[in-house]
Amino acid sequence: MSYDIKRSVSLYSYQDEYYDKKLDLEGCLRETAKAGATGVELLAEQMIRRFPLPIEDEEFRAQWFEMLKKYGLEPSCYDAFLENHIYDNRMLSLGEQINMMNRDIRLASMLGFPVLRTLVSTPMDVIEGSLEYAEKMNVKIGLEVHAPFSLNSGWADGYMEMIHRTGTRYFGFVPDMGIFCKNIPDVLADKARRHGAKEECIKIVDDAYAARMAKGFVKIKYDLNLGKANMEYRMANGMQEMMDAVKAAGGGPADMEYAANSFTYSWSDPQDLVDNIDYIFHTHAKFYNVHEDYVETAVAIPEVVEAFKKAGYKGFLSSEYEGGEHLRADMEVDSIEQVRRHQEAMRRAIEG
Amino acid sequence: MAGRQIYNPDGFKNIEKDGKIVGFQCEMKAQYYRGITLSIVRDIKVNVDGTDYNREDVRLSVNGETFTLEEMRTVIDSDYRWEFGDYATVSVMTEGGLTAGTHHIKAVQVIDPSYMPFQVEAVCEADFDIK
Repeated sequence: MSYDIKRSVSLYSYQDEYYDKKLDLEGCLRETAKAGATGVELLAEQMIRRFPLPIEDEEFRAQWFEMLKKYGLEPSCYDAFLENHIYDNRMLSLGEQINMMNRDIRLASMLGFPVLRTLVSTPMDVIEGSLEYAEKMNVKIGLEVHAPFSLNSGWADGYMEMIHRTGTRYFGFVPDMGIFCKNIPDVLADKARRHGAKEECIKIVDDAYAARMAKGFVKIKYDLNLGKANMEYRMANGMQEMMDAVKAAGGGPADMEYAANSFTYSWSDPQDLVDNIDYIFHTHAKFYNVHEDYVETAVAIPEVVEAFKKAGYKGFLSSEYEGGEHLRADMEVDSIEQVRRHQEAMRRAIEG
Repeated sequence: MAGRQIYNPDGFKNIEKDGKIVGFQCEMKAQYYRGITLSIVRDIKVNVDGTDYNREDVRLSVNGETFTLEEMRTVIDSDYRWEFGDYATVSVMTEGGLTAGTHHIKAVQVIDPSYMPFQVEAVCEADFDIK
């Protein structure tokens, strides 16, 4: 099947340089282009000060489109955060949440984004209540499928039911490639070692991950109570037994942290992408550490790209660097180099 | 190997009003990856040299306006967000402030992004000097 797999960068990737004021919004766009991407994904609340006011301003938008033109970039995905608990004493009402969602759809549209990423905490009826406006503005709502969630699961079935019931073409998924981890990223074990973890404990955790891979991860269920669903998922995948084994081996805080964090990663069969391709609008190409030889520590880039080719995917793979959080307490983070390597790794897989 | 900087090293000072020291202040960045409304900052706990300060005595200032933690619960204005990568000034109103010399601060930022099942609790520690 013919495919058109394009490369984008999520500016989330450059958060450490932005935090240190080494890069501003334009600097991030420049680096995105230099890394070889043609698409850009934006978290407006991260890099647009006084959110959302500037987006309403014609002059600001003119600058935005001027910068995109200068660096040869097209908008790929707008990452929204439905702040439905903006006040500590209550959740926003359904109507207020739909208004907030529609505001974000409008902001995405004004900046030229064809897809809006929403998060798993967005209630189903808020999504349904926004579909008409999304269609009017021609912005597709993509629900992020981030570990521990997965496609072809009881959780995803809840949304598929809604898609079929409403017949909408404006709601689908944004898979995060963190659901295709063959092992725990090396930057985690490195951090655990720096903080005093024992080799024996690291091995228990790594072996448990390998066992989950071999056996197949038990998938998460659809439940409005995300904390409960996540805890059930962890227990069904043997978390308690693993934590007990780490404790019995004399595990300290660094060992326990490594063990608990290992459940942030998961493995899904890349065939899930083929099965659901009609509903995939955009992809977060999550990564943790790409080595000098362009091999990513955990994410199965070649296998995932192969599945997208087989499926005939027409859309972006958007680099989303998340290794920095395991480095920044102890050392400087070089997101620019990491993104460069990751773009090259994806280029080789796509063009190879 | 140096980790990320949370506090402005030049931001620690006593607060003087009408010739009297009424408290101390520091400048810190939010340990989260996007700008936020002050309403989702659910707490700033401050401990210096082992002493905990009262929530009522803590203030946070951004863009020239100062809010108590209680007031922050309803602050959603675009001009008064805690922007990503920007310092906010955290003040503690305590008579006499801090003595001259070296101190250790341990502050905890409690931030509550709506989509997270748990609040972000970032422990921020540093040694600093008061002149």
